[in-house]
Amino acid sequence: MAVPLAYNIRNLRVRVFSTVMTVFSVGLVVAVFIGVMALARGLEEAFVATGDPLNVVVLRQGSQVETSSSVRRDALQVIRYLPGVATDAAGVPLVSPEVIVLLNLPKRADGQGANVLVRGLRATGFELRPQVRLIQGRMARLGLREVIVGRSIAERFQNAGLGERLRFGRSHWTVVGIFEAGRTAFGSEIWADATELADDFDRADYSAVLLRAESPLALRTITQRIDSDQRLHLKAQAEPEYYAEQTKTAGPIKILGSFMAVLMAIGASFAVMNTMYASVARRSREIGVLRVLGFQPASILLSFLGESVLLALLGGLVGCLLALPIHGLTTGTMNFRTFSDISFAFRITPTLLLNGLGFSLAMGALGGFLPARLASRQPMVETLREG
Amino acid sequence: MGALGFIWKNITRNRRRTVLTILSIALSLFLLSTLMTVLTELGRESPDGDQHLRLVVRRASSLGDPLPESYLEKLKRVPGVRMVHALSWFGGLYVDERNFFANFGCDPETLFPMFNENRVPPEQLAAFKKERTAAVAGRKLAERFKWRLGDKITLLGTIYPVDLEFTLRGIYTGLDETAFFFHHAYLDEALGRPGKVGTFWLKAASAAEVPVIAERVDAMFKNSDAETKTETERAFQLGFVAMLGNIKTLISSISSVVVFTILLVTANTMAMSIRERAREIAILKTLGFTRRRLLGLLVAESAGIALAGGLLGTLGARLFYSLVDVWKHTQGFFPIFVVEPETIAIGLLLSVLIGVTSAALPAYRVSRQTIAHALRRTG
Repeated sequence: MAVPLAYNIRNLRVRVFSTVMTVFSVGLVVAVFIGVMALARGLEEAFVATGDPLNVVVLRQGSQVETSSSVRRDALQVIRYLPGVATDAAGVPLVSPEVIVLLNLPKRADGQGANVLVRGLRATGFELRPQVRLIQGRMARLGLREVIVGRSIAERFQNAGLGERLRFGRSHWTVVGIFEAGRTAFGSEIWADATELADDFDRADYSAVLLRAESPLALRTITQRIDSDQRLHLKAQAEPEYYAEQTKTAGPIKILGSFMAVLMAIGASFAVMNTMYASVARRSREIGVLRVLGFQPASILLSFLGESVLLALLGGLVGCLLALPIHGLTTGTMNFRTFSDISFAFRITPTLLLNGLGFSLAMGALGGFLPARLASRQPMVETLREG
Repeated sequence: MGALGFIWKNITRNRRRTVLTILSIALSLFLLSTLMTVLTELGRESPDGDQHLRLVVRRASSLGDPLPESYLEKLKRVPGVRMVHALSWFGGLYVDERNFFANFGCDPETLFPMFNENRVPPEQLAAFKKERTAAVAGRKLAERFKWRLGDKITLLGTIYPVDLEFTLRGIYTGLDETAFFFHHAYLDEALGRPGKVGTFWLKAASAAEVPVIAERVDAMFKNSDAETKTETERAFQLGFVAMLGNIKTLISSISSVVVFTILLVTANTMAMSIRERAREIAILKTLGFTRRRLLGLLVAESAGIALAGGLLGTLGARLFYSLVDVWKHTQGFFPIFVVEPETIAIGLLLSVLIGVTSAALPAYRVSRQTIAHALRRTG
């Protein structure tokens, strides 16, 4: 027969100071865990959400990112007329040659420089990225020194607001529009006209080519054709795959987060253990009474273990509540592959909250087991005689 | 029995609780030392060598764009400049990505005079200078891949479209022993002589000249095709740290949560332990112990426990990071990771403070209780 849970709840209430202290110790650990993981999650999503499954990124063989790639102009002609490349209503192939430049721009907050990715493209480039929507101002006009910027760029970098002028390359570029790109990595970019940008930075070649395949089957044929063509010396990759590779940036944060969480969790389960031992010691007479009433040692073990888990779960809940406000907070870091700045938001998902609760449960079980076993093994008669 | 003996008796009366509390504090302090060391390492300055005299010249637009080689001669003529060194980040991969380490094309004549905190045996230096495909590696790097002098090493170009094969001719020692240097001329040749250099490193004749040189250089190339940005080596490094984002805020907020958690754990332990002793304390009062003396004894006990945890945590961290190769496990992110004495001192100070704070309230309360009330209370 199990000891009623109400008994444990009452006990937690009687020793309110201890309970609150322990709940908060566990809660803070869970909050740190959720916070760091939300950071990693947000960063990962910024890349995962980027890319259309039918889009293909073409780079130079050996280069892993657009920023260090180059594609010769004659290679572009070959790519443009590959079978299986989708065309628009007018029959023009959906192939976008792009020039990519990294710029060091000062941030508004502290004037410190960060690298921003500037993408030079034409109308096709927009067509291939429907998630990009203009929210303020207008499109940049071809042949002019005009740029449109991602919202996070406008907010976080000096002279990047609507109507302001950025100085880079050989000239001043007017910011004529601000775009939003969902949660994708494009939101951390500056877009300009490909020809103008290539002019300013003396780029004879393109950096990368983005194209749309007609079907998943066509996508496979196109990537094989490009990869195997010795003259081109290029490598093709589905766009989501290309961005998924970059999620590795979040790897170190996750490792750091797990390392911290495990250390702190062990510490917190010691705290739970202390509380439970004290609780058992003070209730030895009660335990004796429970035994006399006919509760088996196993029920008592379960009861104390349950109390400990309950205590820790309360902590887990507190931790979730403490962590919630950081959801949606935006911040930026350096993408280790492209060396460009990427901005992203902390993301707390239901799964993450459940993980946090599971984590607290583990702390409760770990911290409660030994005291509960002690409680279940106390000799009945002696405990009743005591005190 | 003296005061210390009394405190010791109390600390050891519930050994299990004391040990658990000490371990809990130790784990937190270990973590805190780790976090503080991350901040220290991100902004580390080399203690010897001429770091304070060095400046870095790079392309103003972006580090990704190189500078013309011809700037070398112009830079040499800038007043106050004692030495100029061309250094290009190659970004080559050794076998695969997980083996990341820093590799640069350099001028073998000026490499060691410029970075004079690094040392290499003279015969190895001569061999390095003589051969166009020769390279030198840091001691730690060579140990990691079990390289020996004379080994062939191929780096795959990720930024440049060339793969280069080198022969290891020297192993240097110094503060950061994780980098790889080779002849810049070899890279330039493989690329078909574009005559481009990633960065120029300058050494000033004196510390006073440093800020002036930066202004002179940038003014000299103002409005040219390749404008420059010149800054001290330290500012250059801190620029990279700044690009990682608001690491300082992140680490300090996590650290304060950690400190607060230790405070809760210790306060809880002390409260439990003092509550159980209410009757005993009342008896001490009847024996003539003053309130102040009782308060002192309890606070000292708590501080002692916290300090023990602090010592275990901070010294444990120092030992742990001296045994574990952080450079390898962080994929080259932290070439050096040492828990400095300053960090240990801060950690110990914090733990004593936490010990004192957490005992203060329960101890104060119990010391104010009337004797009769406390004696009446049962367990």
